[in-house]
Amino acid sequence: MNTPLEQLTSAIKAGKRKDAKSATQAALDAAIPPAQILAALGEGMADVGRRFKANEVFVPEVLVAARAMQNSMDLLEPVLIEAGIQPAHTFLICTVEGDLHDIGKNLVAMMIKGANFKVVDLGTNVAPDVLIEAVEAHRADIIGLSALLTTTMPAMREAVARIRERGLKVKIMVGGAPITEGFAHEIGADGYAPDAGSAVELALRLVEAA
Amino acid sequence: MKSKERVRAVIDHRETDRLPIDFGSSFITGIHCSVVEGLRRHFGLEPRPVRVCEPYQMLGEVEPDLLDALGLDVQPIFPQRTIFGFPNENWKPWTTPWGQHVVVSEHFHTYTSVEGDTYIHPKGDRSAPPSGHMPKTGYFFDTIERMDADFDEDDLKVADNLEEFGLMSDGEAAYWRSQAELYRDCDRAISVHLNGTCLGDIALVPAPFLTHPKGVRGVAQWYMTVASEPEFVMELFDRQTEIALENMARLHAIAGDVIDVVVVCGTDFGTQASLFCGVPSVREIWLPRYKRINDWIHRNTAWRTFKHSCGAIEPLIEAFIDSGFDILNPVQCSAAGMDPKELKAKYGDRITFWGGGVNTQETLPFGTPGQVRAEVLERCEIFAPGGGFVFNAIHNVQALTPIENVVAMIEAVDEFNGGR
Ligand code: B12
Repeated sequence: MNTPLEQLTSAIKAGKRKDAKSATQAALDAAIPPAQILAALGEGMADVGRRFKANEVFVPEVLVAARAMQNSMDLLEPVLIEAGIQPAHTFLICTVEGDLHDIGKNLVAMMIKGANFKVVDLGTNVAPDVLIEAVEAHRADIIGLSALLTTTMPAMREAVARIRERGLKVKIMVGGAPITEGFAHEIGADGYAPDAGSAVELALRLVEAA
Repeated sequence: MKSKERVRAVIDHRETDRLPIDFGSSFITGIHCSVVEGLRRHFGLEPRPVRVCEPYQMLGEVEPDLLDALGLDVQPIFPQRTIFGFPNENWKPWTTPWGQHVVVSEHFHTYTSVEGDTYIHPKGDRSAPPSGHMPKTGYFFDTIERMDADFDEDDLKVADNLEEFGLMSDGEAAYWRSQAELYRDCDRAISVHLNGTCLGDIALVPAPFLTHPKGVRGVAQWYMTVASEPEFVMELFDRQTEIALENMARLHAIAGDVIDVVVVCGTDFGTQASLFCGVPSVREIWLPRYKRINDWIHRNTAWRTFKHSCGAIEPLIEAFIDSGFDILNPVQCSAAGMDPKELKAKYGDRITFWGGGVNTQETLPFGTPGQVRAEVLERCEIFAPGGGFVFNAIHNVQALTPIENVVAMIEAVDEFNGGR
């Protein structure tokens, strides 16, 4: 018989939301410390991220895994709060102004959440003013900007410039189909990642360096 | 050689007097209305507002004078209704958020929010919640996900996701009769979008043409359904295919002899770096339905079938060939594993590449005219030999693309063709 934690990890890997929920409940009922349950969740998501990066699973599988994670988190979150366990870092993410593509942005948000960041998703088509306000309000450590269109790459440049102008001490990472390492460097971002799995690694590096 | 013969010949893998070119024959090989205006000005054509033939992506109609000026080989017959569910008729002026004066259908009803964003109503019905949204700094609409409050993901109903698929109405039949009449003697190849054969196109899942869509209508929700409820998706596709076969028979009876190319499906299976769906899933969920459609067409008509999928889809090309598709578009060579030489060598004698002519993520919008020329000539050298290539950029030519680059692209194809 697998332990509830093993069951939870495999439910996340397979994207089974009902199993994830019942395994989480079983773990809570067995009085397993919430931090351990959280770690089991993270292990499942990290595995999905690795297989996504290796082209073994695709967008639908990542989405069902993230949904299962959310189902588990719904039960776990109140217990974590009660135990005073909070994510150490806040990650703010959005798609830049003029752009409405959000599948990639959402995947990045989910994987980062799976790595135990507090994630604030501002949605799509986000103007620099809204972004700046949110960075200040949420005291974000990192911002992730997504752009999928060549017509919105200028908006990404603008967003980075405005954040820098404002003198905010926040790391900026960028991504999306037309974005390259070179473009990220040129517009003054702190990092670029080509996929959601790499985005997690980059985010961890950026907060460690801070 | 007439354009019609030329296009048919290259699709059947014969080399022709010159390479055929398409811009504007479909909603995935078109030109943004702002660029159409720039081209009309460049060629000194009658200054008149551009018609927005496809309001979602804000594509401009490439009217006959521009088709001539650009030397294009394909003429579209557009569907009777746009993606927002209204017919394009009785054109009226509209000013876009970027200040361009265009003409749109009289049923194109929008409002502007306090933030300056534009919202459009489905079917021109102002009482229905908007189904499309254009950011104030955007150049196209995007669909709005309108979720049905009663939706239950544990109780999916195929009928909910079939609402948009019905048999051809009398009005639609009359439309096709009149269009067939209009284009029966056209020298250009005729391309049409088939109705109802798009299986799971993520742009259509939110059903921007319906006033109150039910069922699985969210983008993420759709992908999750593919992963967790494949039986539901297959049943939906089967039902959809049955309706489509019936409609194809009706279309064939009316306009079969006029049509050369049919756009069957625009479902994107690729992302910049990878696939949306693994090869086994595509073979199980999509291939048998595609095959039914393509087999019917090949048995009963002289049409050639066209499959669009953006992104890094090299691992799926074999499956598309097995599905019976004749044509692949847009051949996104800028995505992972989509090297033009390798594609041509591996698949070039079995499927026609309609697209891939120039990189629209880099060279066309950001390069110099010289770089555009060099890339276009190189792509023509690679793709043209032995037929199997219709020149088109990769997907629609986007807003903010410099006109001199578009002109350089067309001139380079002419140069390849040995001048006109
Ligand atoms: C799905 C899709 C759509 C869907 C979007 C649905 C949605 N809600 O997002 C629909 C059909 C609505 C759509 C519409 C349009 N699209 Co589109 N679309 C795509 C497509 C096929 C896949 C994008 C995608 O979702 N990929 C899946 C995700 C998982 O990958 P991803 O987004 O790249 O994200 C990954 C990485 O990039 C990275 N990442 C992403 N964001 C971030 C952020 C950070 C901080 C980091 C670190 C990493 C990171 O991690 C992600 C996960 O691994 C691409 C093709 C392509 N080559 O990418 C075209 C594409 C992006 N679209 C394109 C265009 C032009 C359009 C339209 C204008 C219509 C048109 N074709 O004319 C409209 C515009 C919509 C709008 N107003 O914004 C073009 C852009 C070309 C250009 N010149 O820039 C592309 C490239 C297609 C093509 N072949 O030309 N599209």
